[in-house]
Amino acid sequence: MAGGNDTLSTRLSPFQKIYLLLVAGFIVGPFLPVIIQSLAFRWAWPELLPGTWWLEQRGKSMLPLAWDYVLSPYSRVWEATVNTVFIGLVVTAICLAICLPVARLLARESFAGKSAFEFFLTLPLIVPEAAIGIALLMIFIRLGLAGSYAGIIIAHLIPTIPYMVRMLTAVYQGLGRDFEEQAMILGARPLQILWRVTLPMLLPGVVAGALFTFLVSTNIFLLTFFLGQGQVITLPTLLFSKISGGNLDTTAAGITLIVTLPGIILLIISERFIKEEAFGKGFGS
Amino acid sequence: MTARERRTRILQLLQLIPILSVLVILFGGALVMALLQSLGFAPWFGINTFPDFSYFGSLWGSQTFWVSLWLTLYYATVSTLLALVFGTMLALALIKAFPGKWLYKYLYKLPLMIPYTVGIALAVIMLSSGGVLSRIVAFAGLIDDPGQFPQILKTHYGWGIIAVYVWKQTPFITLAVYAVLLGIGRETEEAAAILGARRGAIFFRVTLPQILPGIVSSTLICFAFNVGAFEAPFILGGGFPDTLPVVAWRYFNDADYTLQLQGMATVVSIGIVAGVILFAYLWVYRRYERRMGRH
Repeated sequence: MAGGNDTLSTRLSPFQKIYLLLVAGFIVGPFLPVIIQSLAFRWAWPELLPGTWWLEQRGKSMLPLAWDYVLSPYSRVWEATVNTVFIGLVVTAICLAICLPVARLLARESFAGKSAFEFFLTLPLIVPEAAIGIALLMIFIRLGLAGSYAGIIIAHLIPTIPYMVRMLTAVYQGLGRDFEEQAMILGARPLQILWRVTLPMLLPGVVAGALFTFLVSTNIFLLTFFLGQGQVITLPTLLFSKISGGNLDTTAAGITLIVTLPGIILLIISERFIKEEAFGKGFGS
Repeated sequence: MTARERRTRILQLLQLIPILSVLVILFGGALVMALLQSLGFAPWFGINTFPDFSYFGSLWGSQTFWVSLWLTLYYATVSTLLALVFGTMLALALIKAFPGKWLYKYLYKLPLMIPYTVGIALAVIMLSSGGVLSRIVAFAGLIDDPGQFPQILKTHYGWGIIAVYVWKQTPFITLAVYAVLLGIGRETEEAAAILGARRGAIFFRVTLPQILPGIVSSTLICFAFNVGAFEAPFILGGGFPDTLPVVAWRYFNDADYTLQLQGMATVVSIGIVAGVILFAYLWVYRRYERRMGRH
């Protein structure tokens, strides 16, 4: 091995060590002042730490001011959380149901126009969201779908379908059809094969696809904001309305942390299911 | 083709219908309707002058449109490039073995999991004139009033917008590049090293060509997203002239509803600009691939 050539060493170079620390600071660091802010009673400029913490003033309020508000119905946090989870679950279920057969076809059959179809499937990822959002809003107003759950759920399908199809196609490609053929030879009906053979084998991939779809749906801001017309609020749009003035007061800090929480939970769950290798495919090629 | 084969074929095509109806009717339909409206077709407002290029004419004829376009592309390009550099560097570090690696594999994905609005909130608390950075500068004794802190947010330089995009998209590019790196293994790099290649040469001539597909696909998605993003420029941008998605939104919410058609012309312009740039990018990449003898 060439001496002094640490590209090939399996260890980090000193530069990489520093870089990793900087990245950690850049990604997680800004959360620290948000946590502090949510627990502060008074935090004036230029204090590096709050002049008065909530703990010193706990006689005036049972909870830190931010959390007292966040947990009260006035903040609409609970409503937004329920909406976010509900929309995410419905989008995931519909997306799964309509993408499974398509993924199966793409993985196993060849048909005329297949590559054109595959390219079309990736288009929603590269057409700017604002264009889709405003154009859809115009149609939804005519159809009476603007400001409704149905409208938002349908809109969320557009950016989630491409990811779901790609992830499920990869699963089907890895599956092979021997087991299904054996079940068929042994006399199983198509539905039996689907329920007893195909689905159990697909399950890990299906869970990964479902988690990812749920994640994408819960993170969507623009489509919900444009098509919800302020009548349906989710966690991202609630936070937007709190910070659109360009300030982060204690209540906004508390809501920021609440909006972050589902992501942390999903991160811990999904790390077990979503394999990094699944993202290593080229685009439209 | 036997009758049975034909039947399975038809069944297969039937399975495509739900997805096609969402994508063709909603996605495709929305884009076609946007185009029609931008050309003067809006009978529900009592406007039907199709085909009428005056909306594009007045939009493209105003100087602020070109400033808006420039700002949109500037924020999108700078943040995609920064995220690309930071993300590739992070992926190259993550394939090494180091203590605490399991923790990093969670940590770097955090921004992927949470909405852009959280990133905006973080930018506000860190970078605003009363924010943490300003307090640190004051602590160092450099300023004694928040007004003296150089304005980072709400300027047309867009440092706040770029910071949010980079924060959110570096993990996305890391994920794509890391996945490809895991797939290609290290044999080719080792071979290059044995043949005497230096570090820079190994990266640019051996590793980079192999991770290029991951880089191209992830930067395409990031760039397209940045061009069409609304919330970060709306909160952190410098105000008039805004980026194109914010301009379109303002037209759309104007009390004068005929301006909605102008808004549609803005939407279509966003689509055209993004389309032209992305196809040019893919075309260059395909040519490179062919020159390399792939595909």
